[in-house]
Amino acid sequence: MAEKLVPVVCPWCSVGCRFYAVSVNGYIRRIEFDYDHPTVNRGKLCPKGVASYQFINSSKRLKKPLKRVGEKGEGKFEEISWSEAYRIIAEKIKEIKETYGPEAIAFLGSEKITFEENYLVHKLSKAIGTNHLDFPGRYCQYSNAPARTAVFGSAPATNPFEDVAKAELIVIWGHNPAETAPVFFGQYIEKAVLDNGAEMVVIDPRETRGHKYASIHLKPYPGTDLAIALAMLNVVISEELYDKEFVNERTTGFEELKEAVKEYTPEWAEKISGVPAEDIRKVARLIATKRMALLVNEGLNQHVNGFEFALALANLIAITGNIGKEGVWSGVFPGAQCGFCAAMSGIAPNKLPTGKLVTDEAARAELERLWGFKIPDWVGLDLTSMIREMGNKIKMMYIVGGNIAKSAPNSRWVQEQLKKLDFLVVQDIFLTETAKYADIVLPAAAWFEKTGTAISAERRVQRTYKAANPPGEAKPDWLILVELAKELGLGEYFKYEHPDEILREINSVIPMFKGATPEYLTEHPEGCFFPCTEPGEGTKVLFKKGFKTADGKAHLQPVKWREPPEMPDEEYPLWLTNFRQVGHWHTGTMSFESPSLKKRWPEEYVMINPKDAEKYGIKSGDLVKVETRRGSVLVRAEVTEHVREGVIAMPNHWNINVLTLEVTHEKTKMAELKAVAARVRKVEE
Amino acid sequence: MSKKIFLDYKRCIGCKACEVACEMTHGEARIRVFEFPDLFTVPFNCRHCEKAPCMNVCPTGALFRDEDGAVAFDPLKCIGCLMCAVACPFGVPKLDEENKIMDKCDLCADRRAEGLLPACVSACPTEALKFGEINEILWNREGKVVANLKGSAEKGEGEKAYLVL
Repeated sequence: MAEKLVPVVCPWCSVGCRFYAVSVNGYIRRIEFDYDHPTVNRGKLCPKGVASYQFINSSKRLKKPLKRVGEKGEGKFEEISWSEAYRIIAEKIKEIKETYGPEAIAFLGSEKITFEENYLVHKLSKAIGTNHLDFPGRYCQYSNAPARTAVFGSAPATNPFEDVAKAELIVIWGHNPAETAPVFFGQYIEKAVLDNGAEMVVIDPRETRGHKYASIHLKPYPGTDLAIALAMLNVVISEELYDKEFVNERTTGFEELKEAVKEYTPEWAEKISGVPAEDIRKVARLIATKRMALLVNEGLNQHVNGFEFALALANLIAITGNIGKEGVWSGVFPGAQCGFCAAMSGIAPNKLPTGKLVTDEAARAELERLWGFKIPDWVGLDLTSMIREMGNKIKMMYIVGGNIAKSAPNSRWVQEQLKKLDFLVVQDIFLTETAKYADIVLPAAAWFEKTGTAISAERRVQRTYKAANPPGEAKPDWLILVELAKELGLGEYFKYEHPDEILREINSVIPMFKGATPEYLTEHPEGCFFPCTEPGEGTKVLFKKGFKTADGKAHLQPVKWREPPEMPDEEYPLWLTNFRQVGHWHTGTMSFESPSLKKRWPEEYVMINPKDAEKYGIKSGDLVKVETRRGSVLVRAEVTEHVREGVIAMPNHWNINVLTLEVTHEKTKMAELKAVAARVRKVEE
Repeated sequence: MSKKIFLDYKRCIGCKACEVACEMTHGEARIRVFEFPDLFTVPFNCRHCEKAPCMNVCPTGALFRDEDGAVAFDPLKCIGCLMCAVACPFGVPKLDEENKIMDKCDLCADRRAEGLLPACVSACPTEALKFGEINEILWNREGKVVANLKGSAEKGEGEKAYLVL
């Protein structure tokens, strides 16, 4: 009964914390802190990290393949064998391919499975002949990522976290790292402010845990941040505070940008955002004069106008020279430990795993040579479009580790759409809300039950190891995909017996990860920073010389104001936004099954400002109905000054997406998940 | 030489990693993060007093001082009489209703025996909880405050000192 300490990467957020899973006879008993290695977390963990052994041992884990016997969504299933499950899925795929063609089939990869597994989801979808491939990350970084790619040629974080601690100015904008990434906050942000004298600015309609360190707090209405960013560009340019040398030598498009933002004065932005013009000026001047770590997240990303907002910020970073050196930080910050695992293996409707486009004939030919089969050349559908086309263009979906019935916008609509599919396969560790609509559910091994690779927000590629046996007949996602491929007659392309073999193939297919070999990552638990083209620590600071654009320059983009798709009006007079709690994660499939977390963060509620509460006769603890044009939910009210007047806010782990809006941005396909028009009223109990 | 947990409460962000780590180790959390409406949070656990009133009143000798200076606890001797709870000025010892004895922080005696930090300190992502020789921690804190004051004096007029306090 000896205890075994198995090194693992944390299965929740993207900070990339390491610790040990303490395993006894293949069963995780607890975790132990890793103070033995040079880890990013320096031994530290947040409550989710400490509790991460709990959901693994939940009695609700899936143990056998299931076949639906009840109505879609009802949750009635019977247990079947693996061979029967594979046979049914393979027959159905063949039937749908013959009847409608492979373009009637869509796949979802996942931010919760390993790099190797995402690569296999991608390879299997292409081998079946479809480019309808996406992952729930579509609702995560898909404003900031395309915007940064347009300006800098690449989206990921420019610097390692240690540079955040060295910054002179920390701007936290639409991000709450004190709750969403406490170890990052404590080990890097707090150190910058409390130990190194950095100044902190927070831009958020709510007051949150980390705000006590901020010298300035701007509270815009949700979805109006773009106006503030445009006004800051206006101030920095009109007051000639921009880095002239940097603008001249390393950027293009400055004159067009100057022209585009000349009307956007802070006074104009004040009218839209509710933030005093003078405060906007003050922050713009700080950004122009100090070395800045700009920390943004879903408050930026999850808006239809998030792309324009992110473009404005990328412009601001560029013209103030806050990039390509030490002591600055900016980049995407995935919500999950493996968001980059999906993104960097090309899980998208228009990409190859190499990062090149499916429409690039030469890139396709190169991959066809490596893989040995023909790759479709058409651009597939993004996640929201897949949902819209269910029962129409999309007849079958194969979802690995995603819960779109709850995480996609306008859940009631999503649930109705799911019913229209001819065939749905869900591969997960629990019977999620989405799995209840599946025809076949496959039980997957959880994070600590398999070996694989994770990629953190600072581009750190790390290995995590198998510490426990999966319950019942559950299997690792990669193995399920390999066995299904065999059943489909594609076995010759999927000859893997261990994740190491998949990683070696990735090393040879994706140039950016050539040096992240199983051997290097095993010897170096601290991992390497991608791009790691050779074994070694990789690239810690990006863009020191050129940017990833064709001419090596940052391409400044003229940006215009764009209204959110839905604004408060007489009928729905309040802005509704949402936030993540420190004790929960995503749709709660894992954190609700962690007793230490569930008991501390037990239920959803709505934050409402005392002035609004008085108007509607609401007191703390009252049961209220929060309603939008999509639907309504019943929750308790919390009357608090920590949300600005005119805005109500709810945690996003429960039923928030009953209320959100499925309208998407024409280019990024990001939906409106963070700012919708709502009303609230007290319900008699 | 007395080892203590020092609370640098200004660094606390109320994440409750300490509570969960304590719960994982002892079954029930012996440290709690107290939250106030103004978002101020403070983690609080047994102070392991130098002149511990609880030890003075324990009729069975269940409470004792261990080699690191912690006020530790022998569950086999405890009769659950609540005298320690009565004497404690902070209300720290609680009744373990299942086992009919008292329950309090022992600075993770089992973990210290293995050379590990108390679980709450190991976890604390912001270093609001620090464990070690208490005067060493305090001298470091004083040194840092003085260095900050010197730094701001050098920056000149108008630059306010930033303090850890």
